[in-house]
Amino acid sequence: MEFSILADAFSKMELTTKRLELTQYLVELFKKTPHDVISRTVYLLQGKLRPDFEGVELGVAEKLAIRAIAKSAGLDNAEKKIEEEYRKSGDLGHAASKILEQKKQTTFIVEYITIERVYENLYTIAKLEGSKTQDRKIKYISGLLNDASPVEAKFILKILLGTLRLGIAENTVMDALAIAFTDNKENRKVLEHAYNVSSDLGKVAETIAKKGLAGIEEFKINLFNPIRPMLADRVKSEEEAIEKLGIKFAAEYKLDGERVQLHIEGDKVVLFSRSLENITSYYPDIVEKIPKTILAQKVILEAEAVAINENTGEFLPFQELMHRRRKYEIEKAVLQYPITVNFFDVLYYDGKSCLELEYKERRSLLEKIIKEDDFAKYVPMSYISNQNEIEEFLENSINSGCEGVMLKMLDKPYHAGARGSFWLKLKREYRNELGDSLDLVVIGAFFGKGRRTGKYGTFLLASCDYDTDTFTSICKVGTGFKDEDLDQIYQILSNKVTIKKNPRIDSKMEADVWFEPELVIEIVASEITLSPIHMAARNKIRKDTGLALRFPKFTGKIRLEKDADDASTNEEVLTLFKGQKKVAHDRNLM
Amino acid sequence: MTFEAKTSGSDDLKAIISAISTLVEEATFVATAEGITFRGMDPSHVALIDISWPNSAFEKYECDSDIKFGVRIDEFSKLIKRADKKDSIEISISEQNMLLVTVGKNKKYKMRLIESSATDTPLPKIPYDSKIILSSSRFDKILGDVQVVSDYLTIHTSDSKADFSGKGDSGEVVIELEKNTDEIGEISSKEDSTGTYSLEYLNPVVKAVGANAGQITCEFSSAKPIRIEFKVANIGRIHFYLAPRVES
Repeated sequence: MEFSILADAFSKMELTTKRLELTQYLVELFKKTPHDVISRTVYLLQGKLRPDFEGVELGVAEKLAIRAIAKSAGLDNAEKKIEEEYRKSGDLGHAASKILEQKKQTTFIVEYITIERVYENLYTIAKLEGSKTQDRKIKYISGLLNDASPVEAKFILKILLGTLRLGIAENTVMDALAIAFTDNKENRKVLEHAYNVSSDLGKVAETIAKKGLAGIEEFKINLFNPIRPMLADRVKSEEEAIEKLGIKFAAEYKLDGERVQLHIEGDKVVLFSRSLENITSYYPDIVEKIPKTILAQKVILEAEAVAINENTGEFLPFQELMHRRRKYEIEKAVLQYPITVNFFDVLYYDGKSCLELEYKERRSLLEKIIKEDDFAKYVPMSYISNQNEIEEFLENSINSGCEGVMLKMLDKPYHAGARGSFWLKLKREYRNELGDSLDLVVIGAFFGKGRRTGKYGTFLLASCDYDTDTFTSICKVGTGFKDEDLDQIYQILSNKVTIKKNPRIDSKMEADVWFEPELVIEIVASEITLSPIHMAARNKIRKDTGLALRFPKFTGKIRLEKDADDASTNEEVLTLFKGQKKVAHDRNLM
Repeated sequence: MTFEAKTSGSDDLKAIISAISTLVEEATFVATAEGITFRGMDPSHVALIDISWPNSAFEKYECDSDIKFGVRIDEFSKLIKRADKKDSIEISISEQNMLLVTVGKNKKYKMRLIESSATDTPLPKIPYDSKIILSSSRFDKILGDVQVVSDYLTIHTSDSKADFSGKGDSGEVVIELEKNTDEIGEISSKEDSTGTYSLEYLNPVVKAVGANAGQITCEFSSAKPIRIEFKVANIGRIHFYLAPRVES
């Protein structure tokens, strides 16, 4: 398919922030796309080449792209001219199209630019290694640019540089696929399931296009393709948990480690993080030791890897584990920061999916599969049948260095990729009036004054709204930040700046700078109040009124391990809001 | 199927592989009863190489049916570099997907072939108005002289002389060559011609073929591609085509 069709669609999508319009453009695009290029189209429109877990990254730096554009343009001082144009427009893709209009170097043939060719070239670039990699990358890029129209060149560069920020959420893609290929948006649920067990949106797109719903329903778990993890809702108290779960349920220690999905076949082990990144290289000890403790040929297991004090066996906080996130001398880090692997679920066992099994069945299967030793353990679990037991269990878990407990319904399946009340997390109370901290997404910032000149002084934060799949503004925060925090946050945010507001952001307040909603930080506050400005849980309590945090304060924790979609939800905010109202009410009675 | 080709020394093959390596990473050769050919264009479609290496240029040549074989140029090149100047090189294909390369008397390499991506690259059909013949070492010097001030070489011919010039931010250069001097083999032009070509492409290929080529022939027309012919093993030849730069 001609790449210009994709470039045209991108141009339209760039101009809208409305999700319905985005969906409509995607539907039109998908209907025009031949079935054998639809997976590549889906990856490209997310600015990717392969699903995330494969770790294929383009890794093209601006400098290199500028050299490639210069080569294609073949002008004297081309690099300087491009940089000037880039400074003016702030967008290298745009600068490139300006410069390429003046190009002098002729070529023998002008080849049609197809999606296939763009994809193939980008893939080659991503996979290049060995000598003269930079020069070879430049050749491939300028080869594409030579044949590209200025608009095509713009989008090719945006994909290359990772700045194609169309704000298309996975849910929007699935909506559009459902409409384009089944004429019914409701079928997104079926697509979602396929996506949740495969984590590969391109494959889902290709299957629905080629085989329809029947093909999607047959989607199976594949070993070494990560399954999107099941998530838990948060509760504030034991009472609330019992209200939601009934009186009989399972409680597990909530360990403060890294959640790891282990795919094992014989001696082959692949590990995925909670956000489905391949993290096998950080845990050579797991790769070496775990296969010996597994009594199965092929399994997918979930565990919490936790740093421990080797002398006392105590659990250490999550931060300790981050010392392992390095490329070199990992063996040294393994010795320095020992861990235990604490299993809590089994998703696949010798060729069969375990997702449909009830919790109880999965747990007992798990205990049959693993031989416990010093390294491999089960997460401590207890079947609870009254409030005293849960209080005692929570107390024990905190005394042994955990964050709190996970509470799980006994008769429920593993709901991949979904957050819900089958699983609840109950954390230790924080010492602030609200009773709990919130994990919020940084969506915008305001420039600082005084000591904070040149940095961001205040941030605009958002909670996650699952119903509308948006990030709703909830507060501005400027307290609790140390200078180092501000420096670090500035660094992290510098490559997330967007020119227009991402369509998933819902905010009436205008920030000085908008970001891709990606960074999550932890916030405490004194209370939740009604707000005419903020958009969290808008219209849920009162018409044209949302919820906001009063006296918010940064706790010092940047939650790098969390995705924006894991941030606190409006449901949680509403629950907290209602909870505090009840407290106030009770006080009045007394 | 039999395919065997043996050169008497290693210089020609080294020059050919080295020339190809300036443009592409993977090369598909075609072998027929007449000899070996290669044609390929660089990814930016600015330069093209067309090689013809007839059977008579080999010490021994046998090919009973047409075959195509693809190699990774850097791998092939590393291997060929293990040959001394006087070593003969014999290439043959006996088992599937493997190229057998015998260097000298007793060094035998096997190299994995790659799937050949055979796209037919058409040759540019251009009438050439001007022709210059000169030694490749002289041409190499001219490129070096121009490179000092510019990234591009402009060639201008009128019937009795050829100007090689370059212009950049720092200054200008002109090198004038007259007909009938020691320096130049031949200058002929049906029409005065001026063409500008990127040194980024010219330099590597001239360096790659090197002194091996002896006399080279440059043919071009105003604002049209240039074709440079390098002789290989007296009978074979490399044609290097380069698209011009034009003022827009």
